[in-house]
Amino acid sequence: MLIYLPIAEIPVDPFVVIFMGAVVGFLSGMFGVGGGFLMTPLLIFYGIPPAIAVGTEASQIVASSVSGVLAHLKRKTVDFMMGGFLVAGGGVGAIVGIFIFRYFRAMGQIETFISLAYIIFLGLIGALMMVESMRALLRSPDAPRPRRKHRSVEWMAVMPFAMRFRRSQIYISPIPPIILGFLVGVLSAIMGVGGGFIMVPAMLYILKMPTNVVIGTSLFQIIFVTAIATILHAAANQTVDIVLSLLLLTGGVIGAQIGARAGRRLKGEQLRALLALIVLGVCARLVFGLVTPPASPFIVVGAP
Amino acid sequence: MMRLAAIIWIGFAVASAQAAEIAIALTNDHVEVDTGFSGARLTLFGAISGIEAPETGAGVDIISVIRGPATQFEIRQLQKSGPIWMPGNTHAIKDAPGLYLTNANRPITDIAPLPDQAAYHLGTDFLKIDATQDHREAPDEAQTSAQAELFAKAFVTEVEDAGLYRDRIGGVEFKKGSLFAINVDLPANTPVGDYSVAVYLYQDGVLLGRDEADLVVNKVGIERRIFDLAHNQPVTYGILCVAISLFAGWIAALAFRK
Repeated sequence: MLIYLPIAEIPVDPFVVIFMGAVVGFLSGMFGVGGGFLMTPLLIFYGIPPAIAVGTEASQIVASSVSGVLAHLKRKTVDFMMGGFLVAGGGVGAIVGIFIFRYFRAMGQIETFISLAYIIFLGLIGALMMVESMRALLRSPDAPRPRRKHRSVEWMAVMPFAMRFRRSQIYISPIPPIILGFLVGVLSAIMGVGGGFIMVPAMLYILKMPTNVVIGTSLFQIIFVTAIATILHAAANQTVDIVLSLLLLTGGVIGAQIGARAGRRLKGEQLRALLALIVLGVCARLVFGLVTPPASPFIVVGAP
Repeated sequence: MMRLAAIIWIGFAVASAQAAEIAIALTNDHVEVDTGFSGARLTLFGAISGIEAPETGAGVDIISVIRGPATQFEIRQLQKSGPIWMPGNTHAIKDAPGLYLTNANRPITDIAPLPDQAAYHLGTDFLKIDATQDHREAPDEAQTSAQAELFAKAFVTEVEDAGLYRDRIGGVEFKKGSLFAINVDLPANTPVGDYSVAVYLYQDGVLLGRDEADLVVNKVGIERRIFDLAHNQPVTYGILCVAISLFAGWIAALAFRK
């Protein structure tokens, strides 16, 4: 059985697509990550045009973030004020990202650009996670954990308009959150990711937000920024395929449930090492795709 | 029933003709691309009149040409830049048929003389394909005729691999009397738009007659509505996508709530 995707304009096997959604959903449930940075490359490997993979993935992240956002709203673990600044920066970032995307698309280089962006980010994050988790795994369980140094970030203290963020119980300038939101918004629009993998560490180590509000606030930012990116991709590039998105979501929610259960059986360090391996594997596959001589040296695109 | 009606109708239509003639009709002049579309079979029915016993195969040849809507294609050559392969300059292929399928009872080169093949564009080798370099990308480089030829040839090879262009020997069946049928398989990536279908009747390398018919390929159903909305009202479509995603996510959250 084949389903014809209305925007991608190619026939796909719906069960393969649902299965792909389930695999990424499983991983995201197991590791507690969004999964956009795995889903987009997987769609590209499957033969979905990269531009449509990115646009569609933005809409899928909106859908798969709903349950997390609702849960955190109920637990009151969202800092709305912080979230507001992040979204403000993120919205502008998404617009800038779409302009960059359009530019490379008009140049005919969007495929190469998306692949390179993924190689850089997956390579960096995979390597960092691998080093960190190997260190943790090799450390003997009896040895005391090294104390994290509480260095105050000096450049943040001199920023103007410092204000109190009640829920986070911090007193900082809104400029760093706006800049952070902006950068993640650009990435979100270009790569079809939520950006949690950058947002969460940045909130913890740069903004010094307490752990309990970080995930909720990050999800709050992600759902708004990916919603903005979805509308922008649809309006500027016509690259959001809602049928593909819903197929992925169907597999994703089921996979995430199973993944969450599987994740409880593994230790944190083991999980991170495993995720690092997967991330590096996807990165290597993308590198392989760019450096191997193509089967056919020509690319043809057509429009009526 | 429809096929029978078509055959009878053609039979009547050509019975009165005197000179050698060929006439065709499509069993279905609308092909509908819906969510489950994975290609379709198109049957052309036709009749020959004015010559003796064509079914004996006394040197009678038939060529059919299906031409899709004029399409603006772009072709790029992947070039090695440093360690990676990236697309080079754009070459535009203007107004090439979006689909081009020929069927003949034997190789076209054996049926029609070269001047005819060139005049009627019979066969992918005789399509007029112009590849012009995009001057905005490389204003200083002049395109050589060798380059133009290379890209035009590469274009045809690529679209043949994609199943959009094809010369096929076969699919032509001579039926009883002066009737014939041609079966053409439309690929899953058949573009939408207005098509022309032409048949050419040859005997001993001489064109005896030809006929044309129109064909429309449409998108239908939810498939078409989504496509139209996304392209005609992209902002509305984007907002709708977000609304659907939020709703679907909410349903999923409810379904798995403990």
